Amino acid sequence: MKFSVIIDALPYLLQAAVTTVWVSLLGMLLGQVIGVLVCVARQSGSRAADMAGGVYVSFFRGVPLLIQLLLIYYMLPLVGIDVPPLVASVAALGLASGAYVSEIYRGSLNAVPHGQAEAALALGFPGTTIWSRILLPQAFRISVPALINELILLLKASSLISVVGVAELTRTSQTISASNYRPLEIYLAAGVIYLAINGVLALFGTAVERRLQRG
Amino acid sequence: MLDTSLIIQYGPSLLRGFGVTILCWAAGCAIGMTLGFVLMLLRQVPLRPLRWLIRAYVEVIRGTPFLIQLFLLYNGGPSIGLRLEATTAGILGLGLYGSAYFAEIFRAGYQAVPKGQVEAALSLGMSYGAILRRVIVPAMLVSTIPAIVNMMAILTKETVVLSIITVPELMYEMQTMAAETFATFETILGMALFYWLLVEVTSRLGRRLEARVTRFLTHSSTPTPSTRTSTARA
Amino acid sequence: MIAADKNATNTAPNGASLPRTAGGGPNGSPAGTTPMVTVRGLGKSFGTNEVLRDIDLTVNRSEVVCLIGPSGSGKSTLLRCINFLEAYDRGEIRIEGTLVGYSEDSPRRRLTNRELRGLRRNVGMVFQQFNLWPHMTALENVAEALVQVRGMNKADAAARARQMLERVGLAAKADSYPARLSGGQQQRVAIARVIAMEPHLMLFDEPTSALDPELVGEVLQVMRDLAADGMTMVVVTHEMGFAANVADKVAFLDHGRIAAFGTPREVFHESAEPRVQQFLQTYHERNSF
Repeated sequence: MKFSVIIDALPYLLQAAVTTVWVSLLGMLLGQVIGVLVCVARQSGSRAADMAGGVYVSFFRGVPLLIQLLLIYYMLPLVGIDVPPLVASVAALGLASGAYVSEIYRGSLNAVPHGQAEAALALGFPGTTIWSRILLPQAFRISVPALINELILLLKASSLISVVGVAELTRTSQTISASNYRPLEIYLAAGVIYLAINGVLALFGTAVERRLQRG
Repeated sequence: MLDTSLIIQYGPSLLRGFGVTILCWAAGCAIGMTLGFVLMLLRQVPLRPLRWLIRAYVEVIRGTPFLIQLFLLYNGGPSIGLRLEATTAGILGLGLYGSAYFAEIFRAGYQAVPKGQVEAALSLGMSYGAILRRVIVPAMLVSTIPAIVNMMAILTKETVVLSIITVPELMYEMQTMAAETFATFETILGMALFYWLLVEVTSRLGRRLEARVTRFLTHSSTPTPSTRTSTARA
Repeated sequence: MIAADKNATNTAPNGASLPRTAGGGPNGSPAGTTPMVTVRGLGKSFGTNEVLRDIDLTVNRSEVVCLIGPSGSGKSTLLRCINFLEAYDRGEIRIEGTLVGYSEDSPRRRLTNRELRGLRRNVGMVFQQFNLWPHMTALENVAEALVQVRGMNKADAAARARQMLERVGLAAKADSYPARLSGGQQQRVAIARVIAMEPHLMLFDEPTSALDPELVGEVLQVMRDLAADGMTMVVVTHEMGFAANVADKVAFLDHGRIAAFGTPREVFHESAEPRVQQFLQTYHERNSF
């Protein structure tokens, strides 16, 4: 073990870690949009929309992310869209995340007790108000821990985009350790950085959860 | 789409790759579950440093990407004299990775065993070993089966990551084929559909198994303890 | 006035009534002069909350002692201390002369689980929530401890378990899983599980509190038969009718102390203790139309 190796590589690793965070956040953002759309489709009451949403969720949760990533990476050029690996990566993370996020929202909505909407109905609330004032605020609170957890998962999953050459933390570690022949030190350092980011996210999640519980 | 001559040409290597995939998955699951169970048991030992150590192990594994763990084991290992063949490293990596999640699943299951069921056994004079074997573990397995099945499905998906460290499993063989035939997109699409099917089938079998194992809980007035879902996925 | 036991005329289904064993105590245990249970100066705290203070209690062989009192009075804790499911801090408990939970030579050394096993095999406990093992059938529930603790072989254990289920009127349900049984049936299986071990003493922790009212009678009937058989029993209960009609002694607990002790007549009718009167008053109001 030589710690000097780590110190030399640290600036590059940290820079790459920033890319990892950005890619994950962008993926999460796209995932939120897709997740809401899929969730709405599945709750819309239309059978076709429900089925399409179901197939989407099943596919993106059933197929390994690495394969999804390669699929998108090679598919986009085929349909004439030439995109940099970074964009394909964000798209892949977002599409996959969307499937999980839609399930988080669905679960959260189902977790709001049935009597809540009934009570509002009985008081004569219009449907939209029931959604905006009663159901969604509660569902959001319920979903927060799961969403933070989703971000952590996405952050870890983003290591896979190293295979299409995006210079994020894992890829950069590979490049550095290939040149200085110190894989143990470099990957350990990368692992610690991942752990630190996830630790911060987890703490943040706990804090947010506590705040929301206080109401 | 794929024409038949390709299937004849690459069929054997794909089949071999699938064999390696199944081997890695099965061995990884076995190691992961065994180690996870042992970790859960060790966690019950009232020895603080031991508990912290296990907790740290679990948190580190769950807080870092599987790929980094694989690189550490396969590429970093030789620096400390640990020279592993790709497949061995892959299986070991999968097992270690799974063990942390299984340990958490089993821990939640252990805690979900109603205290009264253990007290009843204690008050009858049963030994801890007998209580563990006859009361806790069966109750624990029943309540954790959904989570175990889920984790096994996740490990199915994680096997493709092994291709990155050149384990000659299905994904690796497929990529070789894609590179040689230039039919990249079609091959990957075929792969995607194949894994989709595989994971769907495994999950369905898992649900069946769950229904079988929990059949005695039907018409239960007591609620089944639910386990926290594990936070892994591929 | 104490209402007559509502369920006095009920008999358990399937004609379950326990055959009287010939002779004095159950299991042919010698009716020695040592009391079954002696509690002296017992105290216990959860943190700063003193749940038991200076409890003295003697239970003689073949006696039925009911512990009554408001919730939170410590009666369940006292019961759980007797077989050391709950550790106590001060005083001592002896069962058939043997100190419970702590070493005789160096007091305050807690016995290990292994050392407690010998004691516990002679002390049966019936829980409020039945605590049957859900993955075993009624028969397996009863046979389990016979195999694991008594070292019986499986066939003998099963045969004995079947007998015990018959005693509580549940022979027909031997192969049912607990989830398929009513609460009353589950509790009777739990009792069968205990009596199969031929305990010298049985502890009941609110055995009917988790039951629907119409199922209470069948469980009380089984308990009444056990008492008639000469079983030594300590029963935490809210069934005042049972306490009045079956108990030899009643202990009224309040705030961790025994506030009144004596025969049911002494406690229910002759006690001057205002808290007893108040408790009974509340009980009657809640149980009358």
